[in-house]
Amino acid sequence: MNLSLLAFLVCVPQSAPQVQTQGDAPRKNWIVSAERVYTGAGRSIEHGTVGVQGAKIGLVSNGSEDSGADVLACYAVTAGMIDASVRIDAGLSSVEQSREETPELRVTDTLSPFADAWDGQAASGVTCVLANPPDENVIGGLGAVLKTAGPLSIAERTVKADAVLRGAIGSQPSRRNHPASGRPTDFFSRRPTTRMGVEWEWRRSFYEAAASRKDASRAYIGSTQVLAALDGKLTLNIQAWTTQDIRTAVFLKEELEGEPQLGGKPRLVIDAAAEAWKEPQLLVRSKSDVVLPPFPADGRTDDGAFMAWNTAALLVSSGVRIALSAHGDSSPAGSLGMQAGYAMQGGLDFEQALAAVTTNPARMLGVEDRVGSIEVGKDADLVLWNGEPFQATSRVIGVIVDGALVLDPRAKE
Amino acid sequence: MTTPIFRNLARIPALAALALLAPTLHATGGKIVIKAGRIITQSGPDIQNGVIVIENGRITSVGADTKAPWDAEVLDHPELVAFPGFVEAHTSRGMDRSNENITVTPFLDVRDSIDPISFYFEDSLRAGITTINVQHGNSCVIGAQGMIVKPFGITIEQLQVRPQSGIKIVASPRPGASRALQAQQLRGAFADLRRYLEKLVQDTKDGKDTARREALFQGRDMDKDENKTGRAMEGNANWKLKGFEIVPRGEVDDKQEPLLRAVEGKLPVFLYCDSAASVLLGIDVARENGLLGTTTLVLDGDSWKAADQIAAAKLSVILSPELVYSERDPVTGKEVRTFVPGVFDKKGVHFALQSLNQSSQSLWFQAATCVAWGLDRKKALDAVTRVPAEELRLGKRVGSLEAGKDGNVLLLNGDPLSVKSSVQYVVLEGDLVYDRSKDVRVRQLIEGVEQNNTAPSGAVEPGDVCGDEHKEVGGDPTKKDPGEKKDETKPDHDHGGKKD
Repeated sequence: MNLSLLAFLVCVPQSAPQVQTQGDAPRKNWIVSAERVYTGAGRSIEHGTVGVQGAKIGLVSNGSEDSGADVLACYAVTAGMIDASVRIDAGLSSVEQSREETPELRVTDTLSPFADAWDGQAASGVTCVLANPPDENVIGGLGAVLKTAGPLSIAERTVKADAVLRGAIGSQPSRRNHPASGRPTDFFSRRPTTRMGVEWEWRRSFYEAAASRKDASRAYIGSTQVLAALDGKLTLNIQAWTTQDIRTAVFLKEELEGEPQLGGKPRLVIDAAAEAWKEPQLLVRSKSDVVLPPFPADGRTDDGAFMAWNTAALLVSSGVRIALSAHGDSSPAGSLGMQAGYAMQGGLDFEQALAAVTTNPARMLGVEDRVGSIEVGKDADLVLWNGEPFQATSRVIGVIVDGALVLDPRAKE
Repeated sequence: MTTPIFRNLARIPALAALALLAPTLHATGGKIVIKAGRIITQSGPDIQNGVIVIENGRITSVGADTKAPWDAEVLDHPELVAFPGFVEAHTSRGMDRSNENITVTPFLDVRDSIDPISFYFEDSLRAGITTINVQHGNSCVIGAQGMIVKPFGITIEQLQVRPQSGIKIVASPRPGASRALQAQQLRGAFADLRRYLEKLVQDTKDGKDTARREALFQGRDMDKDENKTGRAMEGNANWKLKGFEIVPRGEVDDKQEPLLRAVEGKLPVFLYCDSAASVLLGIDVARENGLLGTTTLVLDGDSWKAADQIAAAKLSVILSPELVYSERDPVTGKEVRTFVPGVFDKKGVHFALQSLNQSSQSLWFQAATCVAWGLDRKKALDAVTRVPAEELRLGKRVGSLEAGKDGNVLLLNGDPLSVKSSVQYVVLEGDLVYDRSKDVRVRQLIEGVEQNNTAPSGAVEPGDVCGDEHKEVGGDPTKKDPGEKKDETKPDHDHGGKKD
């Protein structure tokens, strides 16, 4: 046992009373001892130890410890994974239908900490997520970065409220709307009904919001949030599956930057960009980040998009920052850890795959100071693996969220 | 240089290149020598730098110091790992439609429904699955007779490994039926058989020749020994048929004969159960009708909860592709996950795995998932090779690499259970039938880019100019590699499919 570990153990009495009780998972001081510590912060340690002190990481050191009541042993430990497109929401019941753009609505108002889906997320090693409003509106509202376990309160689980302004380009915002022809127009006819209409709504929202800078009468409900996105104070998070929709998103960003009356400095994350492999240079040019959807077995994804198996590797080698997503799937074959495995199958190397589910999404969401890597002072969100992470022959056997043991590696399943 | 003459001239080097490549993807008379850096035999310890010799489609020797015949083609890949072809114990893929709209159809045969050029078989080959048991779907009471095939060939005869490999029996309610109705119809099917046979005996005693005339009408040769002689009913059914020996066997109607064969223990049964409750019903019906010794259970849902009963009945099983069963404790609300293969492993029940899909989560992935959940690696690999081979009564032919077995060998660029590995070559009964470097569609799946040579043969492509050899090779209808054949029928990316 080396000196720093000894010092940590001395400073933190093993039988210390619980620092805080969180849900039904007691938060204590844990020693995670692993043959491989993949810190995600530029180094990997063989036979290392991560000390958890309260809700934070208190120590990262060489040398492993395999005895003691609070020692959790495993083959490998990584930082808690982050899913930047978790797609847990209240469904259609939370889609406000009175307007096509609802930028001021917060997803957090529709989420329930009691939803079963959170347990599955945490158990599959996803400790932090971006939750977004559904994509039935052109601009759905404000997304939030949340922990997947902890107190039964969305507010207390929130890492960053109003993290992104979420919207969609493509067929989804117009899919359920119906036009005046063909069916009698009624009160519930909604616009837009085409991709053209969706694009128009986006541009109108920004032009109106920009106009409200000089003329307050042009302001509309939610124009403050749209203005914040235009000015780059709020990241713009847009779903766009296909090439044509990715182009629309990129050209929209470039229009916001280039048009004098807008004068925008938007930050753009394109979510579910299945066909980003077709024109990676476009994403590099516009400095857009990309969140990829789950890898489909036959290449087919939503909106008729085709996602090649080497998409992740190709984008990374082209210089695009990517994050992977499981879209809320926590099953053995569909989980975020396995998505990283599929990205490796498509040519991504391990460190890049790890970054794509930890540090990259953390930076995209602006929460890298708290989560995404194993460093002293960061949130104690850890995933314990029984083998090499992301291999199909390994699985998540232990999960710690904010220092609380959510999945106990010592428990027999 | 775009006149037809010049274009044809341009084809010459391409054809020459093709002629050089052709032998590697054509029948070699089943004679081939495979040298690999590591051979995972599945029948003994791994062999480093070993040699597999295949002659007449069968493995003649496997070892480190085996001598290769002088005249055999050699596949020399010290960087690759050799592994026996995976065995898919049960699937209803590869068929035009897998469920007949009638509930009791033992007289049908899936061979009439299997589509040899279905993408399923191409995908299977790419995933290293070399033996597939295709069975009728699960929406029936008694289904058609299934067939064991290999995923290479254009006709059903080329695919065939064993016809009439078994019959599907379903103990869980098919869509639209209640559990009670399904149970009643399942028992009823056997009761019908029994009534039919008893009537046949009575009619024979009464001197009626209706059955004989019907048999002749159906075109059966009633002078053949097997048709004109009768014999007592065999098998272990709890019910007995008195005097059946007086009925010439040829007089048994085609519609009833396959089920009788199952009752007599001559046609294996694949009994599908979607829950523990159906397992109990299924075992009951199987025992009553003498099927227990020939039954393999195909399980789904919470069937694993009947593991004790399955073990007591000494049945082997084919597990649901969902390896981890998830349910919610009604009291605590907590999710409880059960690793199903682990349950059967503890009870000593032999189990085979099924692919989750026909692409990236095929048998290797299922075996890897088992390892992740703590199953011994050897057992996990057996569950996709040796155990399904035994269950399909092909234990002497496939499932491991040893002398005497079929020459079904995969060459992978790493461990078969690693996400980084993929099947590079497949040798099927001694013929090299798959070469990943020539697999046009895998390039499309990986890189997304539509390949040049995927247009239908004869089509003139926009960039089809002299000197573009790749295009010329691909467009040539004389080329017969497996990927090529499929690509001619390959649909375009469905980019416009779901757009508004």
